[in-house]
Amino acid sequence: MHSHRSLVIAAACVALAAFVPRAALAADNPRGAELFELCTQCHGAAGEGNPMALAPSIAALPEWYVLNQLNHFRTGARGTHPEDVGGLRMYPMAMTLKTDEDTKAVAAYVAGLPPVRQTQTLSGGDPARGAQLYAVCTQCHGPNGAGNPAMQSPPIAGQADWYLLSSLQKFKAGTRGTYPNAAIMRGMAGTLPDEQAMKDVIAHILTLNANTAANAAQ
Amino acid sequence: MIEILGLPAASTFADDIDRVFTIIFVAVGFWFLLAEGVFFWLIFRFKKKDGVKAQYITGELKSEKRWITVPHNIILLFDIVIVVAAVQVWYDVKQDLPEEPDKQVVRVIAQQWAWTFVHPGPDGKLDTPDDIAKVNEMHVQADRLHHFQLESKDVIHSFSVPVFRLKQDVIPGRVITGWFTPTKTGTYDIQCTEICGVGHALMPAKIVIQTAAEHAEWVAKNSSVAVASAALR
Ligand SMILES: [Cu+2]
Repeated sequence: MHSHRSLVIAAACVALAAFVPRAALAADNPRGAELFELCTQCHGAAGEGNPMALAPSIAALPEWYVLNQLNHFRTGARGTHPEDVGGLRMYPMAMTLKTDEDTKAVAAYVAGLPPVRQTQTLSGGDPARGAQLYAVCTQCHGPNGAGNPAMQSPPIAGQADWYLLSSLQKFKAGTRGTYPNAAIMRGMAGTLPDEQAMKDVIAHILTLNANTAANAAQ
Repeated sequence: MIEILGLPAASTFADDIDRVFTIIFVAVGFWFLLAEGVFFWLIFRFKKKDGVKAQYITGELKSEKRWITVPHNIILLFDIVIVVAAVQVWYDVKQDLPEEPDKQVVRVIAQQWAWTFVHPGPDGKLDTPDDIAKVNEMHVQADRLHHFQLESKDVIHSFSVPVFRLKQDVIPGRVITGWFTPTKTGTYDIQCTEICGVGHALMPAKIVIQTAAEHAEWVAKNSSVAVASAALR
């Protein structure tokens, strides 16, 4: 009985912790909150993502990155390749953003969402080998996977492992999009010879997630 | 009749479908108006009058039952008329698969929320490197028989080309084959007509119907691109 109640209280705290910042966010940016309703269908109410819907975690991604990607989808530079199943789901959704103002509003809202810890779905990756392979990534994404706005490289630490894998595969196959950074990433992903190498490098990125979380906790 | 309302008929079977539509419209429309007329006539003819008491009718007398049985038999009769008119059209459009030596096969892949159309390249065959895959854009040739192969990557969709009067569900796990022969050139709508998720209304596509020469030019131009990008892989 007692443990039951503490469980309920804990659940309520978690729900509240997720809700309070969103309420404040919505008050600051009502248009963004309104537009975000559509996103929740696949990306979830907290922007936590849903692998079943092929929807990555978007909560707390930098505003400039969300804006860039939304505009890539809106112009068809991303999400229009026949083999990009997830992208083809996002493309029509982005087309519902009729103005640049709306796109900015929803990007700002998404960027303001608190980050959501991702559960591990991949196995069999070797983080030690991945750390070596990761060397090429550091130039743009940084040693901690924090990204670099100057190079328009997004943070990759904290992203869901399944999405990192599908993104690497799409970059390598040339199905991710026609925007300039996709061409750069096509070359970079090409340095990973097979899926095992991709899993290894992702296993390394997952250790960066742990470090990021530890850093945040301190 | 649908053409008069503004939707062109652009397939060999469109006129047949429209004829069935007109028969149903006229038959149902005539009896609808007549039934409503009788209904309102009765309401006004037997409305409340001072000094006249309402009568409780159980509907057991033969003279009363006739109000049900006669219209019922007429409905059955017209059902037969409609079935007779429709069955040959249904057979031609849905059950028969015409074959011609120069038929074109196009693969239609539905997903949440887009259509991918895989067209054969100059070799006329699917699953070869010169195939042309296009998202939300189908290219066909006027006056040529086409077979389409419907596939779904996720849920049930429905492939609808209003100018062809064609509509066919797309079922995941199955390849559903059908046919059409376009009769007019132009660019027309393709829509999904089965609720398939939040983006259902956002998956419109276009069908571009061209003359043989224009279509061949389009195939030549796009298949070379397809071959070049396949070589890059
Ligand atoms: Cu659909």
